[in-house]
Amino acid sequence: MNGLKQFNWSGWLSFGFLLCFWEIGARAAPKLQLYIPPFSQVLAALGQLAVSGPMAAHFMITVGRFLEGYLLSAALGVSLGIVLGYFRSFHSLLAMLIEFLRPMPSVAIIPVAILMLGIGDSMIVAVTVYATVWPILINCIDGVRHIESILIDTGRTFGLKRRQILWQIILPGASPYIVTGLRVGLSIALILVTTAEMIAGSKGLGFFILDEERSMNSAAMYAGILLVAALGYLLNRLFLYVEAKTMKWRHGMMARASA
Amino acid sequence: MGPKRLTGILFFCGLLVVWEIVARAELINPLIVPAPSRILGIFWGLVASGQIPMQIVFSMKRALAGYFLAAAVFIPLGIVMGLYRPAHRLLEVIIEMLRPVPPPVIIPVAMLIFGLGDEMKIFVIFFSCAWPILLNTIDGVRNLDWVLLNTARTFGLSRADTIRQIVLPAASPQIMTGMRVSLPIMLILVVISEMIGSTDGIGYFILDSQRRFKVAQMYAGMLSLALLGYALNQLFDLLHRRLLSWHWGMMRRVE
Repeated sequence: MNGLKQFNWSGWLSFGFLLCFWEIGARAAPKLQLYIPPFSQVLAALGQLAVSGPMAAHFMITVGRFLEGYLLSAALGVSLGIVLGYFRSFHSLLAMLIEFLRPMPSVAIIPVAILMLGIGDSMIVAVTVYATVWPILINCIDGVRHIESILIDTGRTFGLKRRQILWQIILPGASPYIVTGLRVGLSIALILVTTAEMIAGSKGLGFFILDEERSMNSAAMYAGILLVAALGYLLNRLFLYVEAKTMKWRHGMMARASA
Repeated sequence: MGPKRLTGILFFCGLLVVWEIVARAELINPLIVPAPSRILGIFWGLVASGQIPMQIVFSMKRALAGYFLAAAVFIPLGIVMGLYRPAHRLLEVIIEMLRPVPPPVIIPVAMLIFGLGDEMKIFVIFFSCAWPILLNTIDGVRNLDWVLLNTARTFGLSRADTIRQIVLPAASPQIMTGMRVSLPIMLILVVISEMIGSTDGIGYFILDSQRRFKVAQMYAGMLSLALLGYALNQLFDLLHRRLLSWHWGMMRRVE
């Protein structure tokens, strides 16, 4: 209907039913409330904590660490990926190292990071960068490899300089892959920030959630989880929005290139 | 082995040699970065004494329990949701609401409800492996060739037979993709949950070694984790090939 997505009545109804079931079930079983408080209490806790209390500060700290880690890994992953994708000799040099490090779960790096950097911001950002750089790097290498060599050869024939080839052929050509890597990296970065905050932190949403759990403050804990989920959802939305814009630019580039 | 691979291996060995020399010359604090030879020595000792294998067995029991539980629940659910549109619409919103929750954040919830035992880790892994398995299964079933389904209907196959002989084999490549994506997630989550709430397992072992400043032991634990990840990938690829050959055999029989 006019290209609009039909409203999913049954889906929202079942979601509402689930929330009602949660609310009524928790109220009916007071013993359970220690673990699963009624949904209304979680919302009340969220409202209260949002206005007063330290949750807003924790939220800002988490967002700051996330942005720092994510943007750093994007810059590092894309630039390194282009070098490794374009110069095969570099790639064959590092291939063995990449193969060895990649199967190790990235969170295993957290104790090393604690040892080297202590338990501050820099540790959390470093761990996030280590984990987030992989998907971006691997996708970027793939993307550069998949560019038709005829494009680069044509660029060379027309006397384009290296820098022009990079900006006008390689980056636009590899951008669909790079975008995929950046999107995978988005959720990984959020996972690593919250994990590092849980394992060794005194600030941030990850710490907040675990701390509330340890003090048996379950409504506040669920409120924190709600907030992290909302953050993840919003970041994903923002990414899709930026991607749409970027892809428009890319189509423009492609049209210009083919014109 | 091509010459490219050889340069890679040589470079890797060169790095190790540089690391060894730097560590021996104490250019970097050996308390933080011990020499690779020392790490390997400790690693062999811990493997021989059975300590590392024991911790890995603890971890893998939990990891595989959660992983297969997720497969047992979410593959059937994905098939139902892929085949019946109303079922998909019914659950769509709930899934979209739960999916953006970063899996480690579920650990405190699981600790609250299940305590610090195995159930907690199994639940966390079950929850985090759910999404890739479910969404890939739905996609696999959706991309089914409808001619196949109609043919089955024409030949009067029962619903159960249709699912077993047509839907499942046709969707299995994508189901396997979901299982493949979930494999590293499983490993990551078992390590995280053991770091946050456990008294054994390889994740606990690594973090505990760091806290006691047994640094070489910490690196040995990480090495065993890298080897474990590698072995799991190889094992999965092996099973995948086996299962796919079954898949192609089925397809040929259907044809």
